[in-house]
Amino acid sequence: MQDGKKTLLEKYQIPLSHLDFGYIETCQNARELEKIVQILRSGEEGHFPDLTRCAEEKLKELNPNSKLFRFEENIRHSDKALDAQELKPIYDWTESIKTKDNAMAELKEDVCSSTAGLLPMRKPAKIDTEKKEPVKNVTPQQEKPKTTEQRIKSTDYSKWDKYDADVELLRMDLEEERNKEQVERKHRSQEEKAHIKICKDGVDDLRNNLIKKLSPLEREEYAERFRMCGNECFRSRDYDCAIAEYGRAIAYDPPHAARAYNNRAISHMKLKNYVAAIEDCEACLKLEPDNIKARLRLADANYAQGRRRESYDLYQKVLQIEPDNKNALKAIEQLHNQFGELAPAHATRLTIEEHSSPSEKEHVKVNSAPAEPAPKQKQKPESTPKAAPTKDYDLADLVKPNRVVKSKLVSAAEALGKLKGPSAQQPSRELPKEAAMPIIHLPTSAQSKDNNKLLIQEI
Amino acid sequence: MDKPQLLEHLHESVNYTVYDTKWIPLSAKFVVLGSKPNSHGIMDIYELNEDKLEKIKTVEKKAAFKCGSFGAASLRNRHLAIGDFEGRLQVLDLEHPELAVYNVKAHNTIINTIDAIGGTQLECGAPEIVTGSRDGAVRVWDIRQGQAPVVDISPAPQMGDGVNTDTRRDCWAVAFGNTFNNEERIVAAGYDNGDLKLFDLRALAVRWETTLKNGICGLEFDRRDIPMNKMAVTTLEGGLLVYDMRTQHAIKGFSYVEERNAGRSVGTNGVISGPKATVWTVRHVPQNRDIFITGGGTGSIRLWQYEYPDKRVIDDTDGGKMGVAGTLEMLSAATLSTQPVHCYDWHPDKLGLAVCGAFDQGVRVIIATKLNLF
Repeated sequence: MQDGKKTLLEKYQIPLSHLDFGYIETCQNARELEKIVQILRSGEEGHFPDLTRCAEEKLKELNPNSKLFRFEENIRHSDKALDAQELKPIYDWTESIKTKDNAMAELKEDVCSSTAGLLPMRKPAKIDTEKKEPVKNVTPQQEKPKTTEQRIKSTDYSKWDKYDADVELLRMDLEEERNKEQVERKHRSQEEKAHIKICKDGVDDLRNNLIKKLSPLEREEYAERFRMCGNECFRSRDYDCAIAEYGRAIAYDPPHAARAYNNRAISHMKLKNYVAAIEDCEACLKLEPDNIKARLRLADANYAQGRRRESYDLYQKVLQIEPDNKNALKAIEQLHNQFGELAPAHATRLTIEEHSSPSEKEHVKVNSAPAEPAPKQKQKPESTPKAAPTKDYDLADLVKPNRVVKSKLVSAAEALGKLKGPSAQQPSRELPKEAAMPIIHLPTSAQSKDNNKLLIQEI
Repeated sequence: MDKPQLLEHLHESVNYTVYDTKWIPLSAKFVVLGSKPNSHGIMDIYELNEDKLEKIKTVEKKAAFKCGSFGAASLRNRHLAIGDFEGRLQVLDLEHPELAVYNVKAHNTIINTIDAIGGTQLECGAPEIVTGSRDGAVRVWDIRQGQAPVVDISPAPQMGDGVNTDTRRDCWAVAFGNTFNNEERIVAAGYDNGDLKLFDLRALAVRWETTLKNGICGLEFDRRDIPMNKMAVTTLEGGLLVYDMRTQHAIKGFSYVEERNAGRSVGTNGVISGPKATVWTVRHVPQNRDIFITGGGTGSIRLWQYEYPDKRVIDDTDGGKMGVAGTLEMLSAATLSTQPVHCYDWHPDKLGLAVCGAFDQGVRVIIATKLNLF
């Protein structure tokens, strides 16, 4: 400080009074707080551990990403920082990689055969670093002839009167821009064309040749690499790239491609390519029929594609494998809400899952005392007509939470039920008939009964 | 704490100057390239065995080794391409290192830097090796092509002639990129005067060039085998720049985010102090392109994460498209030596495992934890 160096306090022009608990608490300026923290940390004004901590906490509140929270430590040794359990995967990995390493070493071959199947060599060439790009030369040449055409003779006063310099300038600018754009566009389209050509040019042949040359171990290894690349692309939301990588992984090792198919499916879905996603999911399920993710994705894709009924069945299949899969349950709930509007007939089947929780009490009541129509009528009178035989009770229960309840047909049935009592079963039974799937209908109702039982047990 | 930690797993002291360390793909082994005090080249192969390192092989050659790469080697052959102090490029079979598979006098003087591609990246063009040298030339090699480079990127001949040979720039860093199909390929080169050049090997032209404030020590595309996405550049005076390579503006080029103090030491108390230190190297995690490590002159390594902006491309006022750079976040930092950490290599097959070399004649196996969470 004596040798003319400013203290941080002077440099940042912060009054000494700001180094104070009261001020720091109220300070809302992250920049200023950063400066205060720096001054406090530097120790130029003395050491105040509590004040420093207070300022740091406040800064963390205002700007959690501040560069002042970057710390550097001396590196710690893995023995101290990780316990044996955390190190074990690394040791296991070294063992497994060694076996692979040895297997690969046996595949070694001499150089001539290893380079045989490769792509042709580049033609020897030179790039001159000092060369100017040709594009720049083109634009001025094109401009020159145009300006000469529009030249006005110096004696032609009438024309000069009409001449507006601003407009001309603007026109010149526009032309220049247009030229530039044209050149760029030409450039780009040429590039694009080239890309497409290359992509299509016998990639498959090359690939097949390559694959033929590889041993199963190598294929697996390369496929794994491609899959990892794909995952990595997916993570950075580069879905096109991910799809290409997964495609390669599949091509290189079809028997073990379940995961690649599965991942490609989700990438397709991200790009709203649902048909492709469905295909991939199905391919994955062929290899691994119980893959829950693939099943779920298949259902999601079907749903997104607009095939809602199919997706409903598929969600049910997910639940068969994993009964408490949250995504499937949620989707079914959603679906069933929509089906309330779309297809009342189908809705009878859909209600099962959603309905179980709100109607728990009713289930208990009905199951314990099936011949008790009176309290139910109070809640929702519509369900009474079907409540008498147990099978029909399920149906009624299923229909109830839907909006169907409010439809005229049902209310008419309800009215009938009030009038005739048991005979009113007939109109309400039309609902399942409309669905035209009595066979499926029965098992689902049975399933719902099971659910009820479960619920009762839980209670 | 869900931030990754950098830990030293193993440490091996050697009696020579380490210049490069590289994992052998699909194995638990790595090679260490260096220079003995008598300026002979030395290559050691170590194997990872639970909690110790085992030296498997030592190879000594006449010229000191500077840099190496497995990039052009297939999984079954795994040949190492080495550049040495006398400008020779050799490709060695690690089982029979006495006789080089390929040997060429690539440059007049030391080969500073090497990169290779096409070995394990199938369907991405032919295997090629690129070297950058003090003589200012960048040359691309194909081992099937005898003694001449397939692409020669040299400064104009008159520059090196005459009295003043200093006009030739020293090439410090090269990297392949943009190799997403069989034709497309780009070489990026960084020079001691801060020149950064992109050479398009398909069009055989300079794609783009710019000049940074100081010399370029490290250069890497985040991934070699995709349409170029990002490129990280490190400089002599502690700069770290990450370019967004997806969008090239006709005039402004590529946009970038810069971190000025990437090389300076951040003390344990968070106060940036000390002189500006070189950032020697930058290496992206092979399993995650948005995380990379830098090795600095203060003997520290730092793990960075790049975050993309909401929109990567905007329309410029003159109608062109312009890229938008994201932000950099430092995830972790650790000091492991008093000397610069100048080479670092992630294991291509195991997330978080790495080996690095420092000028304190030490080789360290590093574990980065919790990278799978990103």
